[in-house]
Amino acid sequence: MPSNQLEPNKWVDRYSDYLFNYTIVRVNDREVANDLISETFLAGLKSAKNFKGEASERTWLISILKRKIIDHYRRNNSRKGQAEVKINYTGEDSEGEWLEEQVPDQFVRTAEDDMENNELGLAILDCLDSINEKQAAIFKRKTIDGVDTEAICNEFDITPSNLWVIIHRARTALAACMEKNWF
Amino acid sequence: MSEKSKSLFVDCSEAATCCTKAQYDEAGFFEKIKLTIHLAFCRTCRTFSSRNSKLTHKLKEANLECCSEEKKKEWRENISKLQSEEHTS
Repeated sequence: MPSNQLEPNKWVDRYSDYLFNYTIVRVNDREVANDLISETFLAGLKSAKNFKGEASERTWLISILKRKIIDHYRRNNSRKGQAEVKINYTGEDSEGEWLEEQVPDQFVRTAEDDMENNELGLAILDCLDSINEKQAAIFKRKTIDGVDTEAICNEFDITPSNLWVIIHRARTALAACMEKNWF
Repeated sequence: MSEKSKSLFVDCSEAATCCTKAQYDEAGFFEKIKLTIHLAFCRTCRTFSSRNSKLTHKLKEANLECCSEEKKKEWRENISKLQSEEHTS
């Protein structure tokens, strides 16, 4: 039975970080990611009438975002003809260098590494969704944004001891949520 | 500083707070000593501490990013603008 409803005024607070992390690994550009998310929210609003309530709000937004990402690559591919080929090795002395460039650098992160880390990131955000909203917000400010303890205390009007108790609770809940699949 | 936290022997809840602070490199020298002493005799906190470190490691590995507050504000405004336009039309 359809039970999910759309609440567009809460989309940004609830899903923007999730959508951002989903997008960034696929397009690898903050500006493009921001544009795609903005387009997704607007497209979501426009097609809100088509939402049947069978999927969760987030799943529905992700399906729109996926289409936006594909469109982004299609647009880029249509500009392919404009690509130019660069020839770097003109002198005889530098001819041997190309070989060195072809050797894979084992310290370079592969696409698989990125995808796996992205899955981990999304799992963390998933778990954060299930804990108390205020705790999750404070945890994100401290852990992901790396904001100073004092600045967060001022922002949320709490004492440092309160902050550490909240962070501790959020971390305990997060660890419990992730334990099964990731530890 | 409370009387309790002046002692080198702390209870599990204070040790847990020290442990969490240590994950962010914000535990002071005295707090680190209190934590080490507590961990020496408390198995439950040792398990907690190792789980806490694992979580820190996973968080670093995930390399999470948040969108900027300005962008979020802009999106919120756009959404409420579009919503009010829809209501009036």
